Formats: sequence, C-alpha cells, structure tokens
Amino acid sequence: MDARHGTGRRTVVLGEEVTEMTDTKPANPLEILAFEIAKQIEDKMVVYVGTGLPMVAAILAKKTHAPNITLVYESGAQDPLLADMPWSVGGPFTWRKSPVILEMSYSFGQSYNGYVDIGFLGFAQIDIYGNINTHVVGGDYSSFKHRLTGSGGNNDLSSLTENMVLVGLQSPDKFVERVDFITSVGHLEGGDSRRQAGLVGKGPKAIISQIAVFDFEPETKRMRVKSLNPGISFELCQAATGFELLKPDGEIPVTEMPSQESLGILRKDVDPRGVFTSIPGM
Amino acid sequence: MADYIYNSEAVENLGIKDTSILDRLVDYESARGAHMEKDRAHRDKRLSLKEAIAEYVNDGDIYTDSGFSYVRAANQALLEVARQGKKKLQMIGSPNSCVSYLMQAGCVDYAHVSYQGAEMRGYDRAVSRYIKEGRLTVLSDWSHGAMALGFKAAQIGSPGMFSKQLLGSDIVKYNPYVKVMDHPMKDVSDPVVFIPALYPDVTVIHVQHADMYGNARIYGPSVNDVAMAAAARKVIITAEEIVPESSFREENKGVAIPFLYVDAVVELPWGALPGSCPGYYFWSRQWWEKYFRFANLSDENFREFNEYWLLSCKDQFDFLEKLGGARFIAEARRQTRAAEGDNELDGVDMDYREWMPGMAPEDEQWF
Repeated sequence: MDARHGTGRRTVVLGEEVTEMTDTKPANPLEILAFEIAKQIEDKMVVYVGTGLPMVAAILAKKTHAPNITLVYESGAQDPLLADMPWSVGGPFTWRKSPVILEMSYSFGQSYNGYVDIGFLGFAQIDIYGNINTHVVGGDYSSFKHRLTGSGGNNDLSSLTENMVLVGLQSPDKFVERVDFITSVGHLEGGDSRRQAGLVGKGPKAIISQIAVFDFEPETKRMRVKSLNPGISFELCQAATGFELLKPDGEIPVTEMPSQESLGILRKDVDPRGVFTSIPGM
Repeated sequence: MADYIYNSEAVENLGIKDTSILDRLVDYESARGAHMEKDRAHRDKRLSLKEAIAEYVNDGDIYTDSGFSYVRAANQALLEVARQGKKKLQMIGSPNSCVSYLMQAGCVDYAHVSYQGAEMRGYDRAVSRYIKEGRLTVLSDWSHGAMALGFKAAQIGSPGMFSKQLLGSDIVKYNPYVKVMDHPMKDVSDPVVFIPALYPDVTVIHVQHADMYGNARIYGPSVNDVAMAAAARKVIITAEEIVPESSFREENKGVAIPFLYVDAVVELPWGALPGSCPGYYFWSRQWWEKYFRFANLSDENFREFNEYWLLSCKDQFDFLEKLGGARFIAEARRQTRAAEGDNELDGVDMDYREWMPGMAPEDEQWF
C-alpha cells in the first residue's frame, strides 16, 4: 500500500522504521470526499458507521471539530477509544476498551428508538430519489451481470436512522433513474412516499460523490446539486449522471476544500498509510 | 405440502416449487420438541471436533455459526464439516460468511442470505458466480437487522417480531418469510413488517471460555450468538479453553450462553483460525486476501487452495503450521492485544496486507 503520507505513530516492522514526511500536496478527490463527509457530523452526535471512507471521515471529525461524538457499529460494538482504522466492524478497533458492547439486534434498535443521529452508507447504484442498490447490477434479481453483497445493515440503517448521508463514486451507470433493485429506501418515489411506506427517520439528506455534493429538493425529494467540486461544471456533473439533475437557485456554490490543518490531520493521524484516501499517482 | 403460508410474491420470484423446504426454519414446534428432548443433566459434554461434527451436523441441516466475518467465527469447525463431506446444507447467518467456503467445498445447496462479502474486500465473487450458475439456491433474502430480529424472537420465546426495516424495499419481494401488514393498534395506516422467529438446525459457536457442561463466555461483540444458541435445535460450542464451572459462578458478569442449550463442547484452541479470537489472536491478514482474490475466482483456484489449506491439514495445528507456526502465534497475539488496548500499540504493524495475483509463495506472509 502507498505509504506516501508517513505515519502518525511509529510502525516498527522487523527492525524497519517508517520515517515521517511532510506533505503539502493539494487534496485529492478521496480526501475531499472524506472532508465533506466529516462536515456532516456535528459535535456530540451518535454516528453509525461502517468501514471505509465514512470511518475515515468520522475519525477526522472526532479529531477536529467534533471530539464528543460516539461511534456505533452493527456488530454491537460501540464507543471505542480511537486508535487505528478498523477494517472490519467486528474487529478490535471498533470496541477497544468500550464501556459496553451490545448485540446486533440492539444496535439497530438504537437507531429505531432514536438514539442515533446520523448514519453513512455506500452504494453500487443510487437513483433520483436516493434509493440504494447493493444487490445486483446489470439485470434483475434472478438474471444479472453481478450479484453484489446484498443488504448487510444497509437496509436497516436506511429504514431506521434519523439522518442518512450516502457516499459513493459517481458515473452514469451508478447514478441512475431507477435502481435495478431497491436494497434500501431513500425517498422511495419522492414526496411523502417514504413515510407512507411506514419508514421512520427523515431519509437521506445528502449524497457525496467524488465530484459534487447533492441534497434533495424539499417537496419532490428529487436529487439536487448542492455544490460542485473545484473545476467541475454543472454540465460535467450532469454528464456523469444517468438522469436529469435539479439545480439550486442562483449560482451553484463550489465545495469547500479541506484546510491544510484538516489535511494534515487526515494524512498524519487518521489514515497515515493512505489505505482509504490515497490515489495511485496523485 | 407446506405447513406455513409464505409471501407468495417472493416464492414466485425466487422460483421455489415446493415451499415445504422453507418450513423447518420457522417450525417452532419442532424446535421446542428438540429442546424438550435434550438431556438436562450437568454432564461432561466434551467431544473431539470430529465426533461433534459427525454426531450433530447432518446432511440437509440448516447450519449457522458465530461471530462477525473475520471475528470469532467457528472456522475450524466449518473446515471439519467440509472434511467430512456433509451435503445439501442450508446456510443462514448474518453476516453469512460461513456460506462461501462450504459452498465451494460442495456441502451447500441453499442459503438464506443477508450479506455475501468481506467488508472492505467487497462482494464474494464465488457466491455471486454460484447463484448465477444455479449451483446455489437462495431461499430468502434479508437485511442484517431483520435476520437478527428473527433469531432474537426465537431467543425470547416469541413467534415473531414486528419491525420497521425492509418496508418499501425489494427485499420483501424476495423473502417468503416476512409479511408487511398494518400496525394492529393504530387506526390509521402504519405499515410494519412481521419477521417470524428463526430456528436453525445446528449452530456452532466459537468462544473464549467454556466449561465441560457447556456454559460458554464470549468476549468482544456477541453479535447474534446467544440468540442463535437459544434457537438452534443442536448447539456445538468450540472453545479456546475449558475452564472449571466455578469460573462462571465467580465471574458471572458478561455475555454467557447457558449450558442447557449446549449438546457438545469441543476444546479447540485456535478454533477461529484463519479468523481472529478476541483476547487470543488476530486474523491472518493475507489468508483472507488470497481467499478473496484467488480462491473465489474459479473452481480450479479453489481446488488448489482447498488442497493446501484443508485436505492436507488434519486439524487446526497443521493449519497453524502453514500460517507460520510459533511465529504466527507470537504475531497474532501481539496484534490482537495491542489492538484491544491491553498491550502497547506503538510499534505494532496493523496494516492492511495485500495479496497479489502471481505472488511468489516465498513472499506470502500470513500474519
């Protein structure tokens, strides 16, 4: 793995020592993504996370503007002392010296009962109303190109958590008019349809891709551009989308870039070996 | 002829011809009957792994095991199931990481699925391929939370749970067991989903400590294990260490499985390998890499992998030797204790370790 960032703590492997490097490179798209996700997190929130970029972002938030957040995981792990990045939600970094470790059903119960403020999910496909597909792509349930993971906790979090933020890479075959399979309901068919289906929580409030940030128009619940990353035009963003995007009123803002301080913390303390946020060649 | 009425849309969508195959998972009467017949005595239930699997895992059983993906799964028991060539198993679990290996080893015909992948390593290509080729039949599709509630309902002795997940999604169109209905106590429409109590035939649970009677203690996330132990018709405990019963009486805090659920106790140090066991050892980082990036890609690759890791190992100690023996023991213990915060983390390599196609065997390092 690319070790370009040096490391926050020493890693002594069989007598070798990785030395620290200073790094003033501009933020790459994955780092911008992590920073944008982190901005969704407010101090003192209870945050439901999986592995990958949302985890990087939650730890970045905790080490910057939101030191008092509590992390919960679907394995039943919660409230660990922070150390390295976990790459399994059952692994020790999700329950390192936790005061309490629950079970899977209790952890989703916390979402339903109103103890979780925000959750983050990834997707293979997402549609105009923020519905997610992680089941099959290229066909339908019985005849497909690839069968993916299935729901895992994706449906549970989407169905039960008060605020959801969806994170993934954007392209016309990932941002589609209708997903091939609804693994998790976002705003279903728009308007009030999510609530009518019986789900709790407000549904997705933001989508963060490598090129833009989106929200949902309040009445129709259709996906709308909120801000564009530097150098990205609306036309380019539209070309990367398989349906017609809504625009906000007035000029579209440019996505805020991480400060040098945030980038430094991200590179040095959060993902020092660039496992989640490095891009080869960048 | 089935004894239960299933969600007919899902039955049709999944192409299930005879729904009686779905019955046993929700047949609470037969589960109760099996539990009634268990010997209640405080008796020494210790068996070898071979004996326990031979006696308590039958062809066609609904099989599940413990933990969460890399963590505290009963992996060595699973390998023994493959070694004994059990057939036509129906797999269930959340996450159902047990399905992949046994399926490729030819032991599995059916699965109740909720998640087929390994987190950061992505979806399980073998499961994807087997479903596509019709070699694995999906009997029901779930979310983690919905399946967890099915086990929990069984544990607390309820016919089922009403819940709010799955509503509006396509999963309900591919799960014969769940039914969307209105909240029975509201006079306006308020959809809920009914999730029946789920009763696997056999569950194998790997724990840190058990006594000879079957009392078993879990450290770290217990996930669905206590619920599955309460529900399953047959329960095998594999344990890192066998402790005296007094240990449970003196230290009666924390998560424990009571002895009366348990049919067999297997003293099985390193029983979660190549996964981790909290307090004891971290998972083999590169084994999982190779499984997902090599063994999952074709039947031929799996045969080669299986020959090395299963057929030429008679037990977990042979397996441990291949992982690096004493050196693996020292590294894996160092890693888990540092990660859990009991030992110093500074200086311990916890990196993601990749396995590359074409990697020379001498460059493979399993810890």
